[in-house]
Amino acid sequence: METAILQVFRYDPEKDQAPYYKEYEVPVEGTLLNALLYIKDNLDPTLAFRAFCRSEVCGSCSMKVNGKTKLACKTPMKELVETWKGKPLRIEPLNHMKVIKDLVVDIDKPIEKMKTLIPWLVPDPRVVPTDPMHESIIYPEEMEAYKDQIHCMLCFSCYSACEAVADNERYRGPFAFSKAYRFQVDRRDIETAKEKRIRYAISGGLWSCVQCQKCIHVCPKGVRPAEDIQNLRGQAVKKGFTDKPGAKKLKHFVDWIYATGQINRLYLPEEVYGNKEAREKLTKAYTEMGVEVWEVPKPTKGLMKFRDIYLEILSKEDKALDLDYSHVRKIDKMVSDIFKADICTIVDKAHEEGRSSRGLISKLKGLLGGQ
Amino acid sequence: MVELDYDIVIVGGGGAGLYAALWAAENTILKVAVMTKVYPTRSHTGAAEGGINAVLTHSVGDSPEAHAYDTVKGSDFLADQDAVDIMCKMGAAVIYDIAHRGVPFSRRPDGRIAQRPFGGASFPRTCYAADKTGFYILQTLYEQCLKNNVTFLNEWFLLSIIHNGERVEGITAWDIRNGGVHLIKTKAVILATGGHARVYWNRTSNALGNTGDGTAAALRAGLPLKDMEFIQFHPTGLAKTGILVTEGARGEGGYLRNKDGERFMKRYAPEKMELAPRDIVARAIQTEIDEGRGCGPNGDYICLDLTHLGEEKINERLPQTREHAILYEGVDPVKEPIPIAPTAHYSMGGIDADKLGRTPIKGLYAAGECACISVHGANRLGGNSLLDVLVYGRLTALEAVKYADEAPETNPSVAKAKDDEKRILELMEADGKEKVADLRKELGNVMMKHFGVFREEKSMREGLEKVMEIKERAKHVKVYDTSKKFNTDLITALEFLNLVDLAPAIAVPAIERKESRGAHARKDYPKRDDKNFLKHSVVKLKEDGTYELSWKPVTITKFLPEERKY
Ligand SMILES: Cc1cc2nc3c(=O)[nH]c(=O)nc-3n(C[C@H](O)[C@H](O)[C@H](O)COP(=O)(O)OP(=O)(O)OC[C@H]3O[C@@H](n4cnc5c(N)ncnc54)[C@H](O)[C@@H]3O)c2cc1C
Ligand code: SF4
Ligand code: SF4
Ligand code: FES
Repeated sequence: METAILQVFRYDPEKDQAPYYKEYEVPVEGTLLNALLYIKDNLDPTLAFRAFCRSEVCGSCSMKVNGKTKLACKTPMKELVETWKGKPLRIEPLNHMKVIKDLVVDIDKPIEKMKTLIPWLVPDPRVVPTDPMHESIIYPEEMEAYKDQIHCMLCFSCYSACEAVADNERYRGPFAFSKAYRFQVDRRDIETAKEKRIRYAISGGLWSCVQCQKCIHVCPKGVRPAEDIQNLRGQAVKKGFTDKPGAKKLKHFVDWIYATGQINRLYLPEEVYGNKEAREKLTKAYTEMGVEVWEVPKPTKGLMKFRDIYLEILSKEDKALDLDYSHVRKIDKMVSDIFKADICTIVDKAHEEGRSSRGLISKLKGLLGGQ
Repeated sequence: MVELDYDIVIVGGGGAGLYAALWAAENTILKVAVMTKVYPTRSHTGAAEGGINAVLTHSVGDSPEAHAYDTVKGSDFLADQDAVDIMCKMGAAVIYDIAHRGVPFSRRPDGRIAQRPFGGASFPRTCYAADKTGFYILQTLYEQCLKNNVTFLNEWFLLSIIHNGERVEGITAWDIRNGGVHLIKTKAVILATGGHARVYWNRTSNALGNTGDGTAAALRAGLPLKDMEFIQFHPTGLAKTGILVTEGARGEGGYLRNKDGERFMKRYAPEKMELAPRDIVARAIQTEIDEGRGCGPNGDYICLDLTHLGEEKINERLPQTREHAILYEGVDPVKEPIPIAPTAHYSMGGIDADKLGRTPIKGLYAAGECACISVHGANRLGGNSLLDVLVYGRLTALEAVKYADEAPETNPSVAKAKDDEKRILELMEADGKEKVADLRKELGNVMMKHFGVFREEKSMREGLEKVMEIKERAKHVKVYDTSKKFNTDLITALEFLNLVDLAPAIAVPAIERKESRGAHARKDYPKRDDKNFLKHSVVKLKEDGTYELSWKPVTITKFLPEERKY
């Protein structure tokens, strides 16, 4: 019988100082879930993973195979062996969630985050009859608007793959926005709830999504969170939440200060009012005044530490989510283009030192009494 | 030992449990908690594809009476008609309620809820939401529970029910995530733990954890189980895995063919053909296979042919069926017929409860598949289970609220929790002469062979002996994982031990019911025998470990037994 080697992530926080990988030889037959059940039944009963329906409807069994997010009961072993050409298959728990044991992660946090976005119908009494014996009429065409979103089975694959979650622990997560969006486009949902959802979505990091599209690629159910996020942004703009210069000015300040330690006087008119000529005119005017100007400030050594402190201040005000990481990245890129990759080295170094902002937020949470 | 204190604990987060939670949450300020061994949205209700039966206000020509008649006839007259009446009359109210909460039922062009024909029904009254009805219901109920801030004890495992012989006092449970036995004090308990078709281990459409935990706990607590011999075999399980192909596939016009390409149902149910009730279709398929007309190299399956429906219809109406056939059987139903065979699907029997879901113990209720009210009698109609789940989820919630509002505080003793702790420790220290995985498979094979689609005295007696032997051997199974956190080795063992407790409760009445009725098809007694067996079987577990059988009358109100022909 054809076999394959699975290198399975093992970690029991009670016993093990650190995670390790254990190798198992399994038959290449059926799905990855079959292989894991084979291990449990025949080789090692102590292996922990979640599985229930075994037919891709319950969302229990998502995990990573050689870094790629997969639903175990939907993934044929044959396909894995062919894709990885006989290389060992490294089976690991999902990212961004605490490992409870082996392949089992703590999904309470993403659920709590989802909950903040009102992922339920708030019926509009003008549309949905309050009399339980009256039917509410819904035309089949109307249901097209949310036909994909309702397939979400809370498997958290997208949450694990998401760039924005990686950057910002408080980012609500792709699925959560899709769940919210489903009700935004349901005629039965009351306008006031829609309004609130947008507001909560914004404070839940709506603008932090970097549109990497990973969530779309990993979703086993064809949900397209990145698109739903774009649509939510569209709704937010329409409702006037970010379009106002005031909001944009704030965003400019917050992002530039975080990214460089200073506001950018040259870019402010462009980013806030959309005035494209301003930068050139200002540069000239400043020079004539004898004021030293820079297009982007040169990053200094203490910048990463500064970012930490700044984030701490924002967090205390519960404003950490005002930071738009995609914007910060753009600024980072400008800086490194102009100063020849300086910021990258600094950032890399900071990462080496384990001082990513993500770690900091969790630390902060502890400090602030686990909000 | 940590103690938790609630007024009502709902054990189970499937359709029945969540709907109960919702109705409790909206109707009381009592402390209500839902305990579930898997996160609610992962419950087996999510796998229900076909739909949910109800007579709606726009169902032309249909009526709750007609629904009740079909249900009673489908049950082979073993259902209690007062309960069936309640269920069928509540149909529309329940459907509109969950539709108003957001369940995306498929709609007709005029915007009303669409209904389709389903086996055993005289009118098209099955409401559906594409082919994921249960999934959408479960997700919607969960959303609504979040909205109502329902307290969840997710990934907790019910161990025992504590009562004083008169009323319930609490339960004990294992916290899967952190480990540890907990004593939970409560005035009322609703058991909504789902079915036990996993007794047939490898040949079932059910999820890995449908192991009848609540039913087994009730049995051990001295409660009666009713009509346990009735297990529904779904005619169309994928040949390799037992995973279900929805009845909708036949509802949409799929054909069943034997190896000669014959649509053999014309010999078994000439009028209804493929749409005859499940038990009849399952038996027809099993007979074709047994008599050498099965397909494939071993002649051990039958073909479900959808090819004439065309790709568009298959994609629109049966997307999941297509996906599963490709993934688990390697067959694309657009081009080739799907290999199928009967698979254990639904437990008609369960915890004995009355027409309001009350058990003989005050404050203890049962709802959904773990309960036997009985609205399904000897055979459940497709689409009636989800209805049962919702109707009784709601009714038991209201009953429990009413009861807990007035019930005095309880004072459960810690003895049971200490016992459970000891039991778990013993499992970890057992000699390990037997392996759970092996015994579990063996139990499944024995049950399928001796208590499968067809049954017979001699074979069943042999079967019971084997089951009791497995029960003996099960004393030697060992839990190797001694850690506390997420010990799935322990859970697997506890689930298996529940199956072992339940198997004889199926076998004993199966042997004694010397007739064929609904899903109970005996070769040696091929006819229904109303004179002797128009009655419910009741099984209790005695202290000495024997299973005691008794009988109980059926409630007949309107419909007198007649021959069941389709
Ligand atoms: C594949 C398939 C398709 C089906 N299709 C249909 C259909 O189309 N129409 C229809 O009407 N019916 C259908 N059925 C039947 C129907 O789905 C089930 O009968 C119904 O969903 C049962 O719901 P429930 O709430 O009683 O239990 P479940 O949904 O099974 O939920 C049981 C709950 O109990 C919890 N639980 C169990 N044991 C423990 C324990 N020890 N401790 C704590 N919690 C525990 C579980 O975590 C779970 O939350 C189908 C069944 C199958 C198998
Ligand atoms: S597109 Fe946005 S939501 Fe999706 S994974 Fe990327 S950052 Fe996350
Ligand atoms: S959107 Fe897709 S990947 Fe994300 S949780 Fe839902 S089903 Fe899983
Ligand atoms: S086991 Fe349910 S999705 Fe894989």
